[in-house]
Amino acid sequence: MVEALTTTIEIASLLLAGWCLVSTVRDRSMGVGHLVAMALLELLLIGQVVVSTVLMVGGERPEETITFIAYLATVVLIPPACALWGLLERSRWGPAVIAFACLILPVMMVRLDQIWNPALA
Amino acid sequence: MPEPSASGATPPASRSGPGRVLVAVYAIFALAATARAAVQIATRFEEAPLAYLLSALAGLIYIVATVGIARAGRTSHRVAVVACAVELAGVLAVGTASVFEPALFPDDTVWSRFGSGYLFIPLVLPVLGLLWLGHVNRRESRWAGQPPR
Repeated sequence: MVEALTTTIEIASLLLAGWCLVSTVRDRSMGVGHLVAMALLELLLIGQVVVSTVLMVGGERPEETITFIAYLATVVLIPPACALWGLLERSRWGPAVIAFACLILPVMMVRLDQIWNPALA
Repeated sequence: MPEPSASGATPPASRSGPGRVLVAVYAIFALAATARAAVQIATRFEEAPLAYLLSALAGLIYIVATVGIARAGRTSHRVAVVACAVELAGVLAVGTASVFEPALFPDDTVWSRFGSGYLFIPLVLPVLGLLWLGHVNRRESRWAGQPPR
């Protein structure tokens, strides 16, 4: 886990959540913009997986390695699953699903950080 | 964007509209609770068997509720109502027990202290689920011209 990358994901995720909530309030369905932003967020998450994997192979691993890997795998699955689920809903509730996913991601990032470095918890 | 369910031309599905968000919340929560319980049972079951088994049970009930809310149909609706009711009873019972008898639960369950470890989502989710299912029920009865089931 690289602190800068984790923070970037948290901020990007919250910004996207804000945008999607605005879309929900303004009664907009999901658009290309939402999808592109979601894809960028997913790329950042995949980057997190790659960096963490490299670190773990290099010997720096958290005490609860299995839990960490399980959380990381779940985190990567959330944006595509929610994007698909949101796309199926052609109303204001599509962006609402994405907003929910983007609010969960920072929580999951904090949790991952705590597992990686228990001293922070 | 026209809402087919609002026009009354097609039967409204419980999974559309706000229900879509509810199913997404339920799905992620079911996944999180089940996965965490699985890891706990696999790695350190002997530390807190009751707590981990309860978490696993809670996870399974969340999965049942997710599928029940996502699927249209009378049986799915009933299954979802029962699952949500069990969740609410579970979080209230285990929440109260964990506050007054902490020794029963050496490690946290999903429902411990009314789900405080999960931002109180376990306490709010079944209530939202039951409200939504009741709303769907009334809407469908209106559409079908039948008394509520």
